[in-house]
Amino acid sequence: MTARGPSASEPLLDAPPFLDEPSGRPIAAAARRPVSIEVDRLTRTFGDRIADDEVSFSVVEGETYGLLGPNGAGKTTLIRMLTTLLPPTSGSARIRGHDVVRDRPAVRRSIGTVSQAVTTDENLTVEENLSVQGKMYGLFGRGLSRMIDRRLAQVGLSERRKQITRELSGGMRRRLEIARGVLHSPHVLFLDEPTSGLDPQSRRAIWEMLGQLKADDAGLAIILTTHAMDEADFLCDRVAILDQGRILCEDSPAALKRSLETGERTQIETARALSEADADAIAALGARSWRGLAANAAEFQSRPGEDVGRRAARLLEDRGHRIVHLTIASVTLEDVFFSYTGRGLRAE
Amino acid sequence: MTVSGAPRPARGPALAFLGIAAICQRAYLTLWRQPILIISTMLFPLVYLLVLGNSLNRQLRHVPLAVVDEAANAESAACRRGVMALETGRELVDATFLEDREEALRGLRRGAYRGVWILPFRLSAKGPGPAFVGDNTDRFSFDALDGALRQVWDEVASGASPSAPPADSARLEAYPYLDYLTYLGPAVVCLSIFMGSMVSGGLQVLEDRMYGYHEGYLVTPISTGALVMGNVLAGAIVASLAGLLVLGAVLMLTPVIVAGSREVAAAVATVFLTSLAISAVWFLLFARARSVSVLRGMFGIINALLFFPSGALYPVESYPPWLQAISRADPLTYGLNALRNLLLRGSSPQTVFPEWIFLLTFALVCGILTRVLFRREI
Repeated sequence: MTARGPSASEPLLDAPPFLDEPSGRPIAAAARRPVSIEVDRLTRTFGDRIADDEVSFSVVEGETYGLLGPNGAGKTTLIRMLTTLLPPTSGSARIRGHDVVRDRPAVRRSIGTVSQAVTTDENLTVEENLSVQGKMYGLFGRGLSRMIDRRLAQVGLSERRKQITRELSGGMRRRLEIARGVLHSPHVLFLDEPTSGLDPQSRRAIWEMLGQLKADDAGLAIILTTHAMDEADFLCDRVAILDQGRILCEDSPAALKRSLETGERTQIETARALSEADADAIAALGARSWRGLAANAAEFQSRPGEDVGRRAARLLEDRGHRIVHLTIASVTLEDVFFSYTGRGLRAE
Repeated sequence: MTVSGAPRPARGPALAFLGIAAICQRAYLTLWRQPILIISTMLFPLVYLLVLGNSLNRQLRHVPLAVVDEAANAESAACRRGVMALETGRELVDATFLEDREEALRGLRRGAYRGVWILPFRLSAKGPGPAFVGDNTDRFSFDALDGALRQVWDEVASGASPSAPPADSARLEAYPYLDYLTYLGPAVVCLSIFMGSMVSGGLQVLEDRMYGYHEGYLVTPISTGALVMGNVLAGAIVASLAGLLVLGAVLMLTPVIVAGSREVAAAVATVFLTSLAISAVWFLLFARARSVSVLRGMFGIINALLFFPSGALYPVESYPPWLQAISRADPLTYGLNALRNLLLRGSSPQTVFPEWIFLLTFALVCGILTRVLFRREI
C-alpha cells in the first residue's frame, strides 16, 4: 500500500500499486496500458486554507479510480483542477499527456464530466439536451445523431428521447447526465457523486450502466468521487482516501480492507457457558477485543481475510460446544474509511 | 477515440460556429418551452404603452379652480366670462365662484381646488392685476392653469387698453399629427428589447451559473470568445423576438404607417442591432456575477440608466448636460431614434445607418470587454 502515487519522474507505464495484489478484477492487462491521468504534487490553496496539499496519483486507461473523503476533504477542488475549471496553486496534472493549465483545449477535448450539479436544461427534451452538448464538442449531422442514439441506448433512455427533461425521475436525469458526459466519447470521465440523492434501485441501475459503459469503451478511465463506500467498492479498481487535502491511503478496495489490523466482527452463541479457557483458545487464533455478551455468548474482532470467526466456531465444537448462533460481519470499505479519516483527524 | 466508429469532431472556426449555434438553439428552445417568459417580456411594454400612452396622451381637463371676485367691476366680469369660456370650451377647469378669499385658500390647502384666482378690489389693466395662487405640488395643473389664466387676463387687459393685440404667429407641423400613444410606440419596442435581453441574457446567464448548467459549457473545447459571442447572440435573438412581437402590436394599436418593405426590413434590422447591443451590456455587467440577487439589485438602476435617458418618454434635448452625456452613450437612444425615424418620420433606411454603426460598435466593444473579464472558472 502506498500513501502517494508515482511521482512525475517515474515511468508512465509503470503498473499502479494495486496491480501487485489480486483484487478479484481482471486488471492484469492494465499493467501495459498507458497512463491517462497523472497528478504530481497538485496543490490548491484559498487564502490560508489548503484545499489540496501535494496530491499525487496516476490512473491508467480503462481504470476506475475512486476519491473518497469527508465533506471538505478536497475532492471537488481536485476534480475542478483536473477539468480546467480551477488553476492549481502549484504542482502539475496531465490528462493523456496534456497539461491542465498550459493545454486546456486539448484537455477539454479529452474529458467528459458529470458534476454534482444538474447541468441538463430541464426545459429541453432528452434528445435536445444531447444535441446541444454534442455541438459544443464539435459533433454535428449524422455523426451526432448516431452518437445520441448510441448513448441513449446505453443509459436506457431511448424511449424517453422526446420527453421534456423536467418530467424525468431523478435516476433517469442522472443517467441523462452520464449520457451527456460521455456523448463525445471522452478518454477520461469525471463522475462527481453520480448517485447522490438517488434511491437504491436507481443507484444500482447507474452502477450497472457504468459497468456496461466501461465494457463498451474499454479504454475509458474514470475518476469517481463518492461518499457511498459500497459504490466505490463496487465500481472502483482503486480508491484513494482523502482528508484535509491529503491522500491518506490508496489501493484496491480489497487490499485496503485486508490491510486493517481488525475489523471483521464475529458474534458467537453456544448451548452452554463459555469458559476462560475457551476465550484464550480463540484469542490464540487471532481474535481481539473479546467481549462477553452473556455467559454463553461473546463478540470479538479479527484481522480481515484470516477467517478467524469460522475457525473459532470449529474450535468450540471440537471443545464440545454446540454452536447455537454465529454471525460474521466482513470488514467494509467504510471501516477502512473511518479507520483512515479517524487517524488523520487525530493526527491533526 | 476510445469508441470505435465515433465521429470526428469539428475543430477551429467550425467548432466555434457549432458552439454558438448550440447556445442559440438552447435559448430559443427554452424560450418557447416557457411561454410565460415571452408573454411577460411583451406584456410589460404593452401595458406601459396602453396605460402611460393614454394617461399622458390627453390635455388636462376639469381642473378645479376657485375664482374670488373682490372687484365686481367690468374687468372682473370680463375675467369671469373668460374663465367660463375655459370651463365650457376646452373644459380645462371646473370653476367655483366665491366671495371670501380665505374660504377659497382653505379649499386650496385641503386639495379641493388646484388654484385660486383672486380678482382684487379696483382690478384694472393699470393695476392692481389678478393674483393666481396655485397648488404647485401638481406641476402639470399649476402650469396649465397659470398659462390659461394669464391668457384670459392678457385678453381682458388688452381689450381695456388702446393698443391692438399682437398678430397670431404661423404654426406648421412637419409630420401628420401624432398623439402621445403613437409617440410612445418605438419606446415600448425598445422597452421590450430591454426586458427580453434581461430575461434571456442577464437572468439566463446568472441562473446557468447558479444552477450549474454553465459548468457544462465551461468544460467543453469551445473557445471563450465563441462562448461569449454565443451567449450575447442568444440573448439578442430572444430580445429581437420580443421586440418584433411588440413592434407588430404597436403597428396594430397606433396609426403608425411604415412606408414600404425596405423600411420594415430596416426596422427589423434596428430591433436586432439594438437587441445585440443591450444583450452585450447585460452579459458585460454579469461577466463575473454569480447570483440572481445581483440582477434584482441592479435591474432598477440599469432600467433608469438605459431606458429613461434614451428619450423614450421626454425629449433628450431638455435634459441637463450630465444626463445628456449618459444619453449619448446609451444604445437605446440610438435604437429609439432609428425606430422613430423609420416609423414616425417616414425616413429612408439610409438615414439610420449612423445609428446602426453605433449599435454594432457598441456591441463589439462590450463583447471584447466581456471576453477580457470573463473567467472560465467556477
